[in-house]
Order: sequence, then structure tokens, then C-alpha cells
Amino acid sequence: MDRSLRARLEARFAGRLTGPVRQRHDETEIRIRPADVIEVLRTLHDDPELEFVVLADLCGVDTGTHMQVVYHLWSAKTPDWLRIVADGMPREDPRCPSLTGLWPGAEWMERETYDMFGIIFEGNRDLRRIYMPPDYTSFPLRKDFYLADDAARSPGGGVRHMEQTQAPAQATPRVVRRTVKA
Amino acid sequence: MALTPDGAGEAVTPDALAADVSPAADAADATDATAASALVTGSERDLARPLVVPNTLWTSMRPDAYRSGAPAVTHLRELEGSDLELSDTARWGQLEVIPTKADLVVDLIRMNSLWPLLSGLACCAIEMMSAATSKNDMDRWGMFPFRASPRQADVLIVAGTLTTKMAGPLVRLWEQMPEPKWCVAMGDCTCSGGRYKRSYSTIEGIDRVMPVDVYVPGCPPRPEGLIYGMMKLGQLVKERRGQWPEHKIGPNVPTDV
Amino acid sequence: MTASGTPHQHPSLDDPRIMLDDQIGQFEAVPPYPPRTEREAEFYSLRDGEMFVNMGPQHPSTHGVLRVVLKLNGEQVVDLDPVLGYLHRGVEKLCENSDYHHIISQIDPLEYVSSLFMEWAPVMAFEKLLDVEVPRRAEYIRVLTGELLRVSSHVLYQGWMALDLGGLAPILYSFIERDEIVEMLAAVTGQRMLFNYFRIGGVNGDLNHEFMSRLGDWMSRAAKQHEANIGLLNENEIFVRRMRDIGRLDGATALRMGTSGPNLRASGVPFDVRRAHPYSVYPELEFDIPTRGGNGGGDSLDRYLLRLDEVSQSIRIIDQCLHNMPDGPIMARLPRLLRPRPGRAWAAVEAPRGLFGTYVISDGTDQPFRMKIHDPSFVNLQLVGLLMKNNLLADTMAVMASLDPVMGGIDK
Repeated sequence: MDRSLRARLEARFAGRLTGPVRQRHDETEIRIRPADVIEVLRTLHDDPELEFVVLADLCGVDTGTHMQVVYHLWSAKTPDWLRIVADGMPREDPRCPSLTGLWPGAEWMERETYDMFGIIFEGNRDLRRIYMPPDYTSFPLRKDFYLADDAARSPGGGVRHMEQTQAPAQATPRVVRRTVKA
Repeated sequence: MALTPDGAGEAVTPDALAADVSPAADAADATDATAASALVTGSERDLARPLVVPNTLWTSMRPDAYRSGAPAVTHLRELEGSDLELSDTARWGQLEVIPTKADLVVDLIRMNSLWPLLSGLACCAIEMMSAATSKNDMDRWGMFPFRASPRQADVLIVAGTLTTKMAGPLVRLWEQMPEPKWCVAMGDCTCSGGRYKRSYSTIEGIDRVMPVDVYVPGCPPRPEGLIYGMMKLGQLVKERRGQWPEHKIGPNVPTDV
Repeated sequence: MTASGTPHQHPSLDDPRIMLDDQIGQFEAVPPYPPRTEREAEFYSLRDGEMFVNMGPQHPSTHGVLRVVLKLNGEQVVDLDPVLGYLHRGVEKLCENSDYHHIISQIDPLEYVSSLFMEWAPVMAFEKLLDVEVPRRAEYIRVLTGELLRVSSHVLYQGWMALDLGGLAPILYSFIERDEIVEMLAAVTGQRMLFNYFRIGGVNGDLNHEFMSRLGDWMSRAAKQHEANIGLLNENEIFVRRMRDIGRLDGATALRMGTSGPNLRASGVPFDVRRAHPYSVYPELEFDIPTRGGNGGGDSLDRYLLRLDEVSQSIRIIDQCLHNMPDGPIMARLPRLLRPRPGRAWAAVEAPRGLFGTYVISDGTDQPFRMKIHDPSFVNLQLVGLLMKNNLLADTMAVMASLDPVMGGIDK
């Protein structure tokens, strides 16, 4: 948990953060808008105080209401991982600028995100499906894509336990706690 | 895609075998019913009869390389006691052609020089390679040359998960192999889908797309397990019992294959 | 008479009369639809003298089902397009529908050669979500078994490297070594390959007598065996000349491509997650980060030699683990039904192929909301397109094998 990193981020990206800088364990998280992605990441890469040179991960998240793209970066200047969440993309037409101008290695990660979620990365020269066959029409990791299994489709409401459809709660007796008589 | 007991009536090709199996199965069920009735419901008892489906995806152009004219099932539990039960000597009596020593030699040659095709898809491929290398040596039985080209291979050991994208190339590989050819399903993923049974992009067992002779379960099976499977395959090759035109779906697996 | 009655006469697919054009189209190197992206249009248009060769999903190289479409000008590879997805099993979706405990066995087959590392990162992420502290003995056992598996993976890489270049003998030596290590791990985990050994809060079973005796035997021979492995191929002229100056990658490009692991360290960048972002008990252990290819970047031979260097470092770590192994519990006490607080966690470990990371989003239920798996081979494979420009066809395998891809992880 690097407090100085938080101070530096808040100072550098004052206007662009859409939420507070969150820190937990050894991760620092900032939230930005998708439109600011290129600018923020370029600053994070080039700024000598920040120097986040290693792109560790690029992934998409379907929160049910919105789509997010989450980046993880590493820098030698801080002991924390940095997580950048580009939040707020609509589920019907999620678009995000592509990182391939800064990190050409993000090309396949963005292809995978497109394949699994349908998020269009503007600027990626090769945005086609990478895992599924090219004529596949669905986006498998979206929340409205259900596995062909009833348990996965059950609403859950609280505890989405896999066995709930087959073993109802009444089948398992409740544990009786023996209280110690004082 | 799974055949339910309700769908059994539509998919089965009526043949003498299925008709003979049912009364024997009922007899067997009646004796077990008292013991098993508490656990087995009605629909599951229907599953106890083997579902015989024709292999619609591929049939051999030279079936005499695989069968000696004997019926496909010889050791099914339900057939014991019926007139279809066959012992070894009785099997040869059903032949149209008397096997000669040349046939025996050809069978021995085929059995001892089964060249597998390199078809390692995933984790089971490592155990297949381990079975082929020094410590568990498959070269002892002539199976070391893993051919890269399907045109030169005898056995297709499918080792690893079959995905929907790979199904096309794999069936094409199978088609390109010249006959006689056999197929070994290695690993849980190829036998039944395994741990990826719920996945959206895997095929639950390669016997949905190609006829399988030997199933080697395990995740991954030990190299010794694969060698045991190859030994079984050797028996099948020698006794010309491969390539069943119908394959069985259901929990009843013949005991003495 | 066969018992089948009337067998169904389905014509073989080889019969040309029934093969439709679009069925033929799916097996050609060039996709049968118009190009959808810039890069596809650029790649799938041929200039004079060029041709497409499809290195199909089944090929004698042992990485798995990778399809590479090569654009050749005679013998020279002008461009190449890897096609993935032949082993995509939907692991991330299955993880979203599994318990936290079940995920550990779901994730094993990603990089099946080094499956303990595949378990390690998710388990670390879950421990962050649950605020669980792992007992020290469990951490040491994790490091010990992990480094053993790293040795096994690198030794296997040696054999594969030679096999892809055509040498059939070194793979036999590699598998002898690997079998020994893997039997050792089977004594403690119960499985030869997809171990399912790490648990949230520790490991599954304690070290037992068989493991320790096998490990003792192995350690007494390890250094000598490592020298023998080095001597197996290092001075083989054909091997060295096929790998030297092939696929030169410099550090800045490697960082921009998101590479990690031995491929990055062989380009001169000393980035190792064990030192860059230490986890587990690595801060207490003494080991170096070997790097190669400082000036001008590293070629395939550097990548090969670097992995040999890493094996000696791993042996050093195993030695220290054995000497410093503390006593104590091997697993933290956790309920069976795990419901972490809603939150997000990222954890990364240094797998033998690079940075393996997991990003887990928990929504308070007993199944994760999202589980993203970052596999190093997936990102490293992008280098093939970069490094293969204007090399000869036979060098394709040298470059691809030197990057050590494992298709299980690439395709998830």
C-alpha cells in the first residue's frame, strides 16, 4: 500500500479520475473514462516519476450494467501493482481506444477481449476473433451468455451455489450447535 | 445433443441385437430390482439398457479388415445364457471365410507395428510423450514412430480436449488416415468431455465425431494406463474386433473386451 | 452376417462428389470470406512470387494445436499469422460458475507442464480477497514444489527445443529427468501432472517420507545432471548454428510487446516477478536473476541458455528451502463455503514461461464474478510474427520453440 503513489496519481491525474484512488493490500486502483485511456496510460508510461513500463494484463469485465476494460501495470518506482479501470461503457456498443499504439503487445489481449465481450477497440489493426471460430456470433463471457447447464441459469439470489437446483436446502440438515451449559 | 431415454425410441436402428438385449436386460433388472430399487428410479433403469446408435458420421470402406464376420457384441453381460452368447470357438463358427495362417500373420504384423499419429492436443499429450520415452517405452511394442502425416499412421491416439474449432481438422485427419485404422480416446476429455463437460466450446467426447476403439480414462492417464490401453488395442487388432458399426451410449460397457 | 442389420451407408468425406465448396473453403489457408481487418487484408493479399503455406493445427511440433499461416517468398518467410483457438476450453467461463475451491482444479490444465504455478496465482488472489494468511511451512512447500516444477519444465523445454529442430534423442533425456521429478511430486500431491495441490490458505498434504527420500536422491545428483544436460547440446554445432542470430529481440521491443519471463530476461531486461514484486517467501531466499543478451538483444540461443541458467538458480532455491523449512501447519483454517467480501484482487507469479497473473472480482457469493487469467505464453506468442520476418522457413520452428509456448495456456 503505497501512499506516495496515491499522492502522485492524484496530483497527476486530478481531472481525469472518476473515483477515489483505492488501495488494498499491494494494489492501487484508479478509475477513468474510456476516452482518457490513451492519455493516462501514456503519461503513466512516459513520466519519469511513474514509469509504468510493464503492461501486465488487459482484460474486459461485464458488470451486468456496464462494460469495463481493466489494465494492470507494474513500475520499478513503486512496490504496488497499478490497476486502471476504464469504466462506463454501455453494453450495447462498448468502445474503447486501443492500446496498440503504446504497447503493441496489447493487440492480442484486445482481440481476446473483443472475442469474449464484444468490446470494440478503436485503433486495433487486427480486431478479429482469436479463440472462437470466425463465424461465431456470440460473445461467451458476457453475463447474458449462459452455459448450457440449468444450474448456471438459475437466478441464485444471494448464494449462487451450484448444487442448489439439485439438492434443495431442506435436504441437508442444519448443524445443531451444542451450547456449553455454564 | 445428449440422447435421453425419451429419445431412445427414435434414434435406434431396429436390429436383432437390440431386440434380443431387452428381454435379457429385463431379466437382469428384475433380479437386481429389489436391491437397487431404493436408489434407481424408473428413468435410470431405462438407461441400464445399452442404447445402440448407428455410426452416421463414418463407416469403413473395408469392414473385413476389422471384423471376421462375427457379430459386433460377443461378451455383453445381458447375452449370457441367451443363444447369442458366444465363446471363442463359437465365434469362428460364424465365419464365411476360414481364417488362414496368413491372416494370423497379417494380424500379428498389424498388432506389433501400430504407428500412432501425433495428435496430442493438450495435457494428455505430455503423458503420451512420457509413455513413448525411455521410462515407459512404447517402442517395445513397435509404437515409437509417431508419424506426423496421417497418411502413414495406423492409430489415432487423441490425447487432449477436442474443441469445436479443432473438430473439423481432427475428423479430416481421421479421414485422411488409410485403412485399417483404429482410434484411441486418451484422457477424460476425449472419453466424455471430462472436466469441460459444461463448456461452450468443447466436444463432449470424441465418439461424437469418430468411432473409438479403446477408451483410456484418466486426467491425465498415467503412461502405464495408456500402455494398457494400447495393449487392449493390440488384442482388438489381433482378434479383428475393432470398428464397431454401432457404438454404445450408456453405462453398460461390455465386460470382457 | 453381421448383427447390424442394414448398416447406414454414409459416403466418406473423401468422396469428391459430395464436398461442397464452402466445406472445402474452411480447410484452405486463406479464409473464404473477405478480410475484415486491416491486418487481415494486408496479410492475405499476395504479391508476386509469394504463397501461403498452412502449418496446420496438427503438426509434429509438440507445443500443441497452433495453426500458423505462413506467407512465403520461396524459402523466406515474409509474414505469418498465427491462428489460435483450437484448444479454447472456456476456462474463464467455467471458473465463473465454480466454487473458489473448485477453480484450483479447473485452472491446472492451462499450462499443463507447470500446473502448480497456474494454481499459485489464483490461490494468492483468493487469499487477498479473504485476507487469509498462509502458514510459513505451506509457503516453503509451495516454493519448493514450484521450483522443482520449474526445473522440470525447463528441462522439458530443452528436449522440445531439440525435437523441434529435428533431434530426436534429447527429448528422451528430458523425459527421464521429468519423470523423476514428477514422480517425486506425485508422491506428495498424488498426481503426475495436473496436481491440484495448492489450496486457499496453504497446500493439500504435507511432505512425506517418500517425497523426501526421492528428493534427497535427486538433489544429490542434481548439479551433476544439470551439467550433463548443459553439455548435451551446448556444443552441438548444428544446434548452435541453427539458433544463433535467429530471432533477435531487444529489451525495449520486448517490453513494448508485453513479454515476460525468460524471453524478456534473454533480451536483457532483468524483470522477474519474484524480485520485482516479491510474493510468498522469496524475499528470504537468495537467488540471482540471470539475464542474457544485454547488447543488441537476445537471440534464440540466448533464450535457450538462459533457461539453463535458471535451472541452476532453482536448484539453489530448492536447497535453501530444504535447509530452512519451518515446522507448523500446512493450511490455514478456512470454512468450506467461502464467501469473500465484494472486491477485486490481482496476483501474479513467475511461471516458467513468464508472468502468470489472475484478476478476480468477487461479488460476495461463493463463485467469483469474473476471473481473468493472464497467461504469459499468450502474450509471448505475438513475438513470433515480429521475429520471423525475413527468416527462412526452417527457422520458424527455432523461433517458435525458443519462446516456449504451451497451447493450453494460450488458448485457455
